[in-house]
Amino acid sequence: MNKSEFLAQLHDHLSVLPPEERNELMEDFEAHFTFALQNGKSEEEIASELGNPAELAKEAIDGRFAPKEPVYWFNPDTPPAPPAPENPKRAHRRSGFATTMVYIGLIFLNMIAVPLLLSAWAVGVSVAAVAIGGLISPLALGLDYLAGNGFFAGKSFAVVSCVGVGILFALASRYVFKLLIRISNSYWAWNVRVGKGGEEHE
Amino acid sequence: MDISIQFKKGALELCVLVLIHEHDRYGYELAQSVSQHIEVAEGALYPLLRRLVGEGYCTTYLQESTEGPPRKYYKLTPEGEHYMKKLVIEWKQFVRSVSNLIERGSRL
Repeated sequence: MNKSEFLAQLHDHLSVLPPEERNELMEDFEAHFTFALQNGKSEEEIASELGNPAELAKEAIDGRFAPKEPVYWFNPDTPPAPPAPENPKRAHRRSGFATTMVYIGLIFLNMIAVPLLLSAWAVGVSVAAVAIGGLISPLALGLDYLAGNGFFAGKSFAVVSCVGVGILFALASRYVFKLLIRISNSYWAWNVRVGKGGEEHE
Repeated sequence: MDISIQFKKGALELCVLVLIHEHDRYGYELAQSVSQHIEVAEGALYPLLRRLVGEGYCTTYLQESTEGPPRKYYKLTPEGEHYMKKLVIEWKQFVRSVSNLIERGSRL
């Protein structure tokens, strides 16, 4: 293959590129021929050293689409998030032995911590039960009266104080449940974080 | 045969970056310097150089010469130098790992 054959083939195979890109590449190759001819090489020699025009064109076409920046589908003005694989903390992987030990440790801890958490929930439930009991105590007084046990003032004073206690406990149970949910959630999240490993607390 | 072509293609980028880091070079000079060390289709250099420029690792400038057409010189940018150093470290680690593995395999 001589110079003009090589360049013609290359030109054909590069036809998918925008003209200015193709021309730049063609200039590079033409300059290569010029310099090599000056050094006393034959056109055939140069063409064979350069390689197969079809393969070279393929490389030129494949290479140019490799984006340096990842593609963003959202607002292009937002600053790019740091690429995850470069974070050494995340890249760090635990060994198999350490992973096993972490899981065993978590299981033992949970054998104690989960029942404790459950009993805390039981406390919450009983607070709520007291609240409900107090609030429905007038109903009990009504039933008592209907059952024919008569009416006397002491019972109604007791019911009034029961309702008072019920209101207070109802208010308290709201905070108790909020606290329990928060503790349970964060305990679960901590478990997941430790189980996955490799990350520190934020 | 085919496999060693793939090796060389992978190494070509690193070789080119190191050669440009030594001093600014133009295309044909790079082709010659590379083929002194590895046997590779010289034409692959030009798409590679375009990519390096596109990625901001190299810049080009033209310089007249007494004989022949003006030469397009390639110069490494600071990012290009950083990238080259990273590649060199990765290359060394990679070669060491593969060599160790081959050593171990040959002892069996």
